[in-house]
Amino acid sequence: MNQYTFSGTAKTVTIGAMIVGVVSMLLTWFVGADDLQSRFWSNFLHNGTFFLGISMMAFFFIAVCVTAYAGWASVFKRVWEAMSAYMLFGFIFMIIIALATYFHWNHLYHWADAAAVAEDPILNGKKSFLNPNWYLFGTLIIVGTWVAFGRKMRSLSLAEDNDQGVDFAKHRSMRKWSAAFLPIMGFSSAAMIWQWLMSVDAHWYSTLYAWHAAVSWFVSMICLTILLLIYLKSKGLYKQVTTEHMHDLGKFLFAFSIFWTYMWFSQFMLIWYANIGEETGYFLHRREEYPVLFYANIAVNFLIPFFVLMRNDTKRKLGSLAFVSIIVFVGHWIDFFLMIKPGVKITRDGHGHGDAAAHGADAAHGAHEAVGHGAHEVAASTFEIGYTIPGLLELGTMIGFLGLFIFVTLTALSKAPLIAKNDPYLDESLHHHT
Amino acid sequence: MAHHNKEVIYGLYDDETDLLKAVKEAKDLHLDIMDVYSPFPVHGLDPILGLAESRLHIAGFVYGSLGTLTAFLGMTWVFTKDWPVIFGGKPYWSVPAFIPITFELTVLFACVGMVITFYIVCGLGPGVTNVYLDDRITDDKFCIAFDTATVDGAAAKSFLTKTGAEVNHKVI
Repeated sequence: MNQYTFSGTAKTVTIGAMIVGVVSMLLTWFVGADDLQSRFWSNFLHNGTFFLGISMMAFFFIAVCVTAYAGWASVFKRVWEAMSAYMLFGFIFMIIIALATYFHWNHLYHWADAAAVAEDPILNGKKSFLNPNWYLFGTLIIVGTWVAFGRKMRSLSLAEDNDQGVDFAKHRSMRKWSAAFLPIMGFSSAAMIWQWLMSVDAHWYSTLYAWHAAVSWFVSMICLTILLLIYLKSKGLYKQVTTEHMHDLGKFLFAFSIFWTYMWFSQFMLIWYANIGEETGYFLHRREEYPVLFYANIAVNFLIPFFVLMRNDTKRKLGSLAFVSIIVFVGHWIDFFLMIKPGVKITRDGHGHGDAAAHGADAAHGAHEAVGHGAHEVAASTFEIGYTIPGLLELGTMIGFLGLFIFVTLTALSKAPLIAKNDPYLDESLHHHT
Repeated sequence: MAHHNKEVIYGLYDDETDLLKAVKEAKDLHLDIMDVYSPFPVHGLDPILGLAESRLHIAGFVYGSLGTLTAFLGMTWVFTKDWPVIFGGKPYWSVPAFIPITFELTVLFACVGMVITFYIVCGLGPGVTNVYLDDRITDDKFCIAFDTATVDGAAAKSFLTKTGAEVNHKVI
């Protein structure tokens, strides 16, 4: 069985998830609305960047393996190729956000407000990078480049399947494209993370931020790879993907969870130690206003993979791998939540165009939704569902994006043989031993 | 390693794949292998020889945890009880500032502890003279050794010859 057919339950479930997502987004727009639609747009930005990054990282990892002559993953590289097919959709979503920013349909970014920038020396100094024009055209050019590279590599990989002889010309070509992609990705992903995510807190900046966010993408990508492979194996496919391959993916999950913690902590500690007001505000605000998510982020994304996957055998068992993958995937989604929402909320409240009556209506909505959590919390603090913690609408939006991601991935996977039979490293991969 | 005046028959192979094949055959023939020597770790040898999984990593975890506690509690005691100093207006008990040192001491304890444990378990170390069968097993040869006390010498010799080894014997 070298061919996956995408049908039945998988199709129903992913389409159902997409419907849940669309309904959640519509509800966010119409029911959970404030006058700036910040909750809708921040959910859109959150999931748009998160899943685009995951698919980009899948492609990045193919490029890394090809460049590093690493053959162990060749047997299931079609899964990564299929995941990178989502880049096109992520591209479209980011263009929508960029257009919305360009035409001021949203107010996610303080720097998009020309009047505020004019009287603010810090934002004025960042104007050459943080402006709606570059946001739109940077997204177009850079993500467009990622998509183009992804499609080129995919077409080379598919063409390689039809090779008759063994001249490896396609693979040599792939090697050039991969080597070219790595530095492009290295710099451009940082630029995209700065403008999409870090500029939500427009006054604040951190040099480690881009690495921290990129590693979050990478870890989530490994989680989804593990889960997809376990699913495909449960369907009786990919028998050639053995415990050894899963072990190596588990090692990547383990190692990059620690690397993520290293990034997170390095960023935190330097800012904590230097204690410069304009830098510390970022973490102080999160620790004071979002204490549960702030500490849960570290606990879930570091302690669980670290202690569960430390042993050899937990990395080799599908059950423990799936357990950690699901938890860490949600954990990194929350990490992105914590990167985006506080800044969006400050921007919304600080620069609200709406009048007091509109805000009053918002508060009523918030109270109504938070009934299950106890109304006193709403009254006592700045607690606001959808900002302080992810609400049901946020989860629904995430499920929708995840559904689309899986749908696109499985569709792409069903369009080609599961194993790239002419990959020069296939034999090595089939006999992989750790 | 103590001397027992064992008579050992051993074969030297040129290649680790030959060695793996021979070990498998010896297991099938129920020839009791005394030990296998190679210049580098041969992949897949442990399961064929039926060696139990090493417990060195458990020792490593214990040493690492010891390092974590030593560093963290040590700094806690020094900076809150023994000699409290204010650094840059931070509280005495500044957990984030302790983390890098805690990490370093965890790694140090785990590494040094594992090396020492490994030396003790393997009977290695300064001042210890180890007997080895042949100089070339530290260079480019792969060796299977049989103890003539447990295996018939002639059978061992014929097995080694048949599997393509250069046969030697030595009393250790």
